[in-house]
Amino acid sequence: MRHSDVSVGIVLLALCALIYWLTTGFTEVPAMLSQNVPPTFFPRLVVTIVAALSVVLIVVGLRKERVPAPAVSPAVFVTAGIVIAAGLLVEWVGTLPTLSLIAVALPLAWGERRLPRIGLLAVGLPSAIYVIFSVALGIRFPAGQLFNWLT
Amino acid sequence: MGLPALEYALPVFTDPLVIGLVILGTIAGVVVGALPGLSSSMAIALLLPFSLYLDPVPAIALLAALYCAGTFGGSITAILINAPGAPPAAATAFDGYPMAVKGEAGRALGISAIASSLGGIFSVVVLLFAAPFLARVAYSFGPPEYFALAVFGLSMLASISGEAPIKNLIGGCIGLLIATIGVDLTTGVERFTFSVPELYEGIHFIPVLIGLFAVTELLTQAQNLGQKRHSIRVSAVKLPSLADFRRIRSTILRSSGIGTFIGILPAEGGTMAAMIGYNEAKRWSDEPEKFGKGAIEGVAGPEAANNAATGGAMVPTLALGIPGSATAAVILGGLQVQGLRPGPYLFDEQPALLYGIFFAMLLSNALFLVVGLAGAKLFSRISLVPTTLLWPTVFALCFVGAYGLEQSLVDVWIMMIAGLAGYVLKRYGFSPAPIIMGLVLGSLVETSLAQSMIIFDQQWTGFLARPIALVFFALAAISILSGSIRALLGRVLSRSGGTA
Repeated sequence: MRHSDVSVGIVLLALCALIYWLTTGFTEVPAMLSQNVPPTFFPRLVVTIVAALSVVLIVVGLRKERVPAPAVSPAVFVTAGIVIAAGLLVEWVGTLPTLSLIAVALPLAWGERRLPRIGLLAVGLPSAIYVIFSVALGIRFPAGQLFNWLT
Repeated sequence: MGLPALEYALPVFTDPLVIGLVILGTIAGVVVGALPGLSSSMAIALLLPFSLYLDPVPAIALLAALYCAGTFGGSITAILINAPGAPPAAATAFDGYPMAVKGEAGRALGISAIASSLGGIFSVVVLLFAAPFLARVAYSFGPPEYFALAVFGLSMLASISGEAPIKNLIGGCIGLLIATIGVDLTTGVERFTFSVPELYEGIHFIPVLIGLFAVTELLTQAQNLGQKRHSIRVSAVKLPSLADFRRIRSTILRSSGIGTFIGILPAEGGTMAAMIGYNEAKRWSDEPEKFGKGAIEGVAGPEAANNAATGGAMVPTLALGIPGSATAAVILGGLQVQGLRPGPYLFDEQPALLYGIFFAMLLSNALFLVVGLAGAKLFSRISLVPTTLLWPTVFALCFVGAYGLEQSLVDVWIMMIAGLAGYVLKRYGFSPAPIIMGLVLGSLVETSLAQSMIIFDQQWTGFLARPIALVFFALAAISILSGSIRALLGRVLSRSGGTA
């Protein structure tokens, strides 16, 4: 039995049920306005296909040998944490300081210990991004709540 | 090329901006291709938001040049460090790396460069003639035919990876579902918006592309941190000798044809083309036993095929609006972002565009031969850039790319969520490419189906009266069932062999 495919199939079936239920909350429109193709038609059709494919996935998975997946490395969780933290930080400290922090946190989390290189990246990366994207292309990056409070 | 064509082609061919961007795209493409983990799809996805600052022709020329050069660039790391820079170069490592180990890295790189260049040029010539021809055929297509064609395109996802056809089809459907988020254009009804105003106009596919290609790969790289890479030294790249060229010329020609044909098939890209190119090179060889030990045909075959697939993949992308590969899906997205409508009418509305793409791909295929030959020593060093410094830079570019599109942090969150979800899906055997295909084709599939149902007065049987649509449905059925048919045939043959 291939456990992962069976569990993936079951999760997908549950998701299909959830999405189908969500479509029941769509605003109903008169048939004339929708020309008899209501907004629920396509999502429900796709969900039905996904559900059918999930059943096939489960059936095929039950016949297969179990393939143990390698454990997720702690570095993946740390990296995902840094990615999410970057999204949260940007609203507070602004884009460029966030990118500078990423340039320090990510190499350190990945085992880089040559501090001059990390320092160079922490200064060079946001500076290059500011020059290319802000000065040259005119993109306005959010300054962050902290900057707004200080000014 | 007649006089009216020249009228559109000449300004493109002589535009310094287009030429400059093609040169830039080619160099960037080779560098990106040479960096393990970075692919041309990812680079194009990252560039998409910024290509909006350019006019359509130079923007698409830049992306097309990156596509061609990135496919070749992958062979550099495949040969020197036995780690393909991108999946289409995986087959190149089978014989390229053994050649490098034997001290023939320069010869292998030279063969790769010439085979890639010739394969690419061959497919671009086919593109120039086949795309307008296919577009003329598609003039007569109505919504039912387009729906059937899109279904055929999505069905081909079943065959892009032999291991996970069901998961690829599910991935395509997930992409279709993501495309339904937002206000339904026909009725004005909100779908899956959860009262978030930023979702009313739907999820823009660029942040999703960046997340699925780049952030997912960032997490994959985190999983593989312990891997050490050693590059084999290369003193100079050597062009193939006359004797070598004679040995590989038929392989290059055969693989160019195979690669172009595979590329034209919706969803099938350079990876499959390269594998078939390699297998055919081995099958036709007088010395198949040398394959895997450093046969030069084993480098020429996959390299000519994967680069030929680039031009081939652009044929359905431009003529029908159905991407020929994952990277072509991203370029299709680039066309849509530029406000263009890929499909048969593109050539009437934007005649200069075809020549821009043709010129960019032709020039890039010729240029990377020069860039690859002259800069291989440098690129072999680039391939060893520490991941600990490379990937923070890539993530910063993801961040800026997702934000730069609408200057909205919601897009940054969408990019990050797509990346995290992409990693989880990848871990369970789902590839990002089918999701992207579904996402890019979502609007076409839903609109053409809705229009078909209106035409047929809600009767599915209406499709039976459309022969072209029926042909596409039949091809879709064959595509989906081909794996099962092959397995069944294999079982029957092995049983009959066993009883004989």
